[in-house]
Amino acid sequence: MAQRRKNGARIGGVDANTAISRRNLLRAAAAVGAAAGSQVIGAPTIWAQEIKDIELRHVGVSYSVVKAIGDQASKDLGFKVTMQNLDTSAAITRFITQPQTVDIPDLEGWQTKVAVARGILQGIEVKRIKEFDNILPIFTKGEYEGKKVSRQGISPYEAMYIEKKDSTKIVEGVHDWMTFLPQVYNADSIGYRPDIVGHPVTRWKDLIDPTYKGRSAILDVPNIGIMDAALALESRGDLVYKNKGNMTRQEIDTTINALIALKKQGQFRATWTTFEQSVELMASGEVVIQSMWSPAVTAVLAKGIPCIYAPVNEQPNGKEGYRGWCNGMGLMRHLSGKKLEAAYEYLNWYYAGWQGGFVARHGYYSPVPKTAEKFMTANEYGYWYLGKPAADVIKDPYGAPIAKAGAVRDGGSFIERFTNIACWNTVMDQNQYMIQRWNEFKSA
Amino acid sequence: MAPLLAVLLVFVVAPLAFVVAVSFFHYDNFAIIPAFSFENYADVLTAHLTYELYVTMIWFSLLTWFFTLIIGFTVAYFLVFHVRNPLIAIGLFLVCTVPFWTSNVIRMISWLPLLGKQGLINSALLATGVTRQPLQFLLFSDFSVVVSYVHLFTIFMIVPIFNSMSRIDRTLFEAAADAGSSRWQTLLHVVVPLCKSGIALGSIFVVTLVMGDFYVVKVMSGGSRASIVSAMYDDISTLLFPHAAANAVILMIIVVIMVSLILRVVDVRKELASQR
Amino acid sequence: MLTAAGRRPWTFYALAAFFALYVAFLYGPMICIFILSFQGPQGALVFPMRGVSLHWFAELVTQTETGDILGAISRSIPLAIIVMAATVAVSVAGGLAFRDRFRGGAALFYAVIVSLVAPGYVLGIGIGLMFQLLGLPAHWYSSALGAQLTWTLPFGLLIMFAVFGRFNRSYEEAARDLGAGAGQILRLVVIPIVLPGIIAVALFGFTLSYDEFARTLQTSGSTNTLPLEIWSMTTNVTSPVIYALGTVTTAFSFIVIGAALSAIALIQRRRYGRALPVGRH
Repeated sequence: MAQRRKNGARIGGVDANTAISRRNLLRAAAAVGAAAGSQVIGAPTIWAQEIKDIELRHVGVSYSVVKAIGDQASKDLGFKVTMQNLDTSAAITRFITQPQTVDIPDLEGWQTKVAVARGILQGIEVKRIKEFDNILPIFTKGEYEGKKVSRQGISPYEAMYIEKKDSTKIVEGVHDWMTFLPQVYNADSIGYRPDIVGHPVTRWKDLIDPTYKGRSAILDVPNIGIMDAALALESRGDLVYKNKGNMTRQEIDTTINALIALKKQGQFRATWTTFEQSVELMASGEVVIQSMWSPAVTAVLAKGIPCIYAPVNEQPNGKEGYRGWCNGMGLMRHLSGKKLEAAYEYLNWYYAGWQGGFVARHGYYSPVPKTAEKFMTANEYGYWYLGKPAADVIKDPYGAPIAKAGAVRDGGSFIERFTNIACWNTVMDQNQYMIQRWNEFKSA
Repeated sequence: MAPLLAVLLVFVVAPLAFVVAVSFFHYDNFAIIPAFSFENYADVLTAHLTYELYVTMIWFSLLTWFFTLIIGFTVAYFLVFHVRNPLIAIGLFLVCTVPFWTSNVIRMISWLPLLGKQGLINSALLATGVTRQPLQFLLFSDFSVVVSYVHLFTIFMIVPIFNSMSRIDRTLFEAAADAGSSRWQTLLHVVVPLCKSGIALGSIFVVTLVMGDFYVVKVMSGGSRASIVSAMYDDISTLLFPHAAANAVILMIIVVIMVSLILRVVDVRKELASQR
Repeated sequence: MLTAAGRRPWTFYALAAFFALYVAFLYGPMICIFILSFQGPQGALVFPMRGVSLHWFAELVTQTETGDILGAISRSIPLAIIVMAATVAVSVAGGLAFRDRFRGGAALFYAVIVSLVAPGYVLGIGIGLMFQLLGLPAHWYSSALGAQLTWTLPFGLLIMFAVFGRFNRSYEEAARDLGAGAGQILRLVVIPIVLPGIIAVALFGFTLSYDEFARTLQTSGSTNTLPLEIWSMTTNVTSPVIYALGTVTTAFSFIVIGAALSAIALIQRRRYGRALPVGRH
């Protein structure tokens, strides 16, 4: 505990007698911060005097809009970045209904598509993003390692470009204006307790296997949960979807009816809505297999409970694969002048590597691994990105050990994951019908 | 009166006017189109789901109402008529309030270590040999939903009943006793009629709270139930505002009807005005 | 004041036991919170305990891993106090006024009911949208304050209905006959009698605001109140730090309540020493 108490507590603890030394300490701290800042971004491109009053409000979900990242950015950039966390639903509603209260909206691909259509965003000029050429082509070209990235659901590439700065229509192909700048992403699959399940899980169908009756769970965010269900049904061989991310009414019916049947048989112990619930379901032993996010698996591990993130790599028969998601930053339409300049500074700061190193220790990825690598040890990069056995202990962003030397990350390397994406988080054309049917499943 | 009117006009009437207007709009995934159409209402009213949700929530309301009323009345009775030092009564009342200053979100989460498979209750039951298997129904069930409602909402019953009871003239007890009525008769024929306004108001609070809930159902049923508002929330997550608005309008109408039924039994305004 | 004169009836013990059970039920989950907040750095939100330390209390202060809990508290408490004050003032005035039938009384009453039953999340979106359209900045002290009042005022006003119901107006009339002005009547006659009711409304105003989620979600502008911050934290790694917050809140509340009640008891004892008791006892 003592080692975790940071400067803040110590500064707060000094008494009046040492007020002078405290002031010195603060000055020293400020100097360190400034030095670190200039080191990271080089000479500030806009005028330190004029930007110090600027405040950028970055709003989004807590796994993507992280206070520690905002604090670091403020320190490096010389203007203030405030992070506001909301859940996915509240965030998109805020962007749409109160655009003036947000500067940098944090959006998923499907939300970007909706936001662009509503005209609340302005385009991001490609040539002002310094690292644009180093962004993985998954996002900029929709391909990776010479392979087309799945277009089921709404892939980041699908929502990436507009033709003009204030256009409200997303277009195919590479253009000069981007809708959102990807900043953090991952591939979701199944988490399970190896000590109880007893065999390696590599297929989605295990989620609905009667062996785990009353001990499995799925995600209760309708437009994502239904895709996890679809992956499981496809894996079991019930049906083949044309596009799991944009089902027909009939496909929705088949999926929900199957879910209702499973629920009636007592397959699901629960459905979960928040990250924390998924961690607790697993940690408490209520559930032994469930659709899960990689950092949630890490969080269970950090509690000393065995948990594996299933590598659901695509099979030769076309089944399996991960469900991908990606959060990126947009620019609200009302940004202009110095504030817009600051926003571009901020976007470029994200690709300078500090943030990439930070999110990697959560188990997430940066779209520009090249710069993120500089902010990680060789051991960390090997473990998180390359799928190599850890040469030494691996720690989370706050210093807690989460993997011993010799451990290998579940699901293997970055390439293995992202060449195996089956579908992306989405909003379907039959969205309203799907949500209604999903709620029928829940109240069945 | 003026401040009350101002708050209601600015923060209730005006925004609800938006909601009502939007409930008649057209929409697709990417836009909302101003219109005057009843399709959203038709969608809501023809959906089988709507009826299921209302039946579930009304059932939850009734159960919660019943338990909170019994507990709330008894607790209020104890505090008003049996605790003789008013300072101690206030102290005990505060003891009932303190848990509410820890956020509901946190307190919901804390049911898991109490009611879960490896929770305190199941551990105790297993250790004492009362059961062989952990009791699953304790958590993520209708049972845990109702327990949680009663836990959260009983205070809303206690407060109005407590205040009604405080106003009862104690000489009435002596009069009743002199007239030869038993404790039970006094309770039924003196106390209950004199605090019916408190009971009615508490009932209004509890019914409204349950019907408008989204968080308790979501967490305590382990997602195996949906509530009216949680379905609305799912709509809003993907920006189906007009559909959610129509849902909201219908919910408001139904709950206002439920409240006016309670008021038909006990006219609290008349009770208030009749004390001349 | 009545003291323990005579033996208590058996019903006292039965009801006291019932009350104790209710309190045990109320504090059941709280006890889990207290115990689990003292876990080590590996702590989870469920049993078994993983180590024993003050780690999560330190984390609450330093906020290295969590959202801005302290910042959220620094907004939620002033907001709750403002809401409490406004709720008490408006509810007492409203309760007094509703004792007479007046034009539009029924409409106003039903407006209050609608305010109570309106789905909070949707109402909040409406309020946020309105502020956006009018070009007003949304803040916790503007739009969220208004939104929360739509929640606390109906509670406050309806509780005042219970308080003023059966309120005997002959006290007021007697005071008026003795030459008291309207202000004096309110201050010296009405308020002392309904004081327990006012305390209840104040507590409700504070608590409902401090816990308010649905109406605040879309109205608090660019900064979060405490419930919003905690809720959004659950979309990420959640740690026993929120339990530590619960433990601190409860401990702090008990200290404040204990201090306040002792102070009142002390003042009363002194006052009774000097003069005749005032009030209804």
